[in-house]
Parts: sequence; C-alpha cells; structure tokens
Amino acid sequence: MNLFRSEEHARRWEQFRPESEEGFISLPELVGFFGTESRQHMLDADYLSRWYPARAAERREYLARIGKASPFWLGTPAPSA
Amino acid sequence: MPGSETEMAGGGIIDRMWVRITRTLIDTGRPPHYAELARSLGVSPAESRTILHAVLQAYPIGWLHPETDYIASFPPLNGLPTQYRVTVRGEQKWFAQCGFEATSVTWLFPGERVRIAAACLDCGDPLTVEMLDGRLTWVDPPTVVGHLNYGFGPSRGRPPFL
Repeated sequence: MNLFRSEEHARRWEQFRPESEEGFISLPELVGFFGTESRQHMLDADYLSRWYPARAAERREYLARIGKASPFWLGTPAPSA
Repeated sequence: MPGSETEMAGGGIIDRMWVRITRTLIDTGRPPHYAELARSLGVSPAESRTILHAVLQAYPIGWLHPETDYIASFPPLNGLPTQYRVTVRGEQKWFAQCGFEATSVTWLFPGERVRIAAACLDCGDPLTVEMLDGRLTWVDPPTVVGHLNYGFGPSRGRPPFL
C-alpha cells in the first residue's frame, strides 16, 4: 500500500504486479477510505472495543461508493477462485 | 492459565493498553515494550505481555516483529522505520505503517498540520502530502496516487508485503 508520484511511476516500479492495475486510488479517495468515522476516534479511550470493530463495514461501504467493490479491494475470493 | 488470561484480556484493560501504546507512539515516535507498560496498567510484566498479545489479536492490522514481543507496527504509525516519514510541528520523529495508513495519521494530531514525506519507490524523488484535521492541504506533485499491489485478500497474513 504505497504512494507514488503518479500512476506512471507506479507502473515503472520494478515490483509492480500487472494484476494490480485496478489497485490505483486517487489521493482524495484514499483520504476518505482511511478517514471513515471509526478512524476519527483513534484518540478515544474505547477506540479498540467500540470503534475499531466498525471499521471493516465502513470501508466496504466506502469502497462500494467509489466503485471499488471488487474482490481485489474487498479481500474476498475472486469469482473464479 | 487460560482463566487468568481471559480475565486479563477483558475489554477494559485491552482498551487501556491500546491507548497507552498509541499515546507513547504519539509522544515519542516509538512503541513501548510491554514491560514498560506493566506498572501504569497495574499488572505484572508477564501479564502485560499476555495483554499485548490480546491487543494484537483484537487489532490484527498491527504486528510484532517475528519471533519477538517487540511492537513493529501499530497503525497508523510504525515502530520500524518506513519510507513514510511523518512531520508534525516541524519535528520528524514518526513513521507511518504504509502509504495508505499515512493518510490517517492526521487523526492522531488534531489541529496540527501533518506532513508525510516519502521517496517514490520508482525514481526516489520526493513526494509530499500535507493534511490538517483529515483534509488535504498540500500535495506535491499534484499527481500523487495510492496503489495497492496485492489485493487485500492475498496480502492478509503477509504484513511485511502490504
């Protein structure tokens, strides 16, 4: 999960995997993805028990909203798997 | 002694250790050792170690260095240096776990400008992202993009390769 100067830089990276072509995410979308409500409560005393468990569902919902509800992003098995 | 471990792993103490680890990372840039946390939590070092393992079971996006009890990664920050250097108030003493988690470091420093600087893995040239209270305030170059090289599924269980 890296940041690159641009998509072209990522594709030139010697470890770039061609099957990760769908792995690009714009910076504003990334900020939203890693800034869902639960992540905004990391300084709360009960973050781990109250907020962290909500994170996965929030992220799935966010990925669906930005059109990335694919097995690659959701971490679910691909249909052919 | 499974019974005592279960008792120690109750929600309150696990939450408290999570907070202590995160607060130490925020204050010093480094994760604490479980023995250092024991007294403040009112437990023995051995109990503290058990609680640490329970914390990471509940928070599996962090991890210990293999074969040790040293906290290597406790996102969004990292104990082990990464290329994602974090600067707050002109001081660079933090590292983000990865480029993605770097964008949530802002939530640990409310009201502060958080600057993430990294060398591009392709060319080594710098890239910089600055945030304030969850908002992007500066991006250089403007074309900076996130990239997930392994899908979230395949990368599970292989944290170093995230």
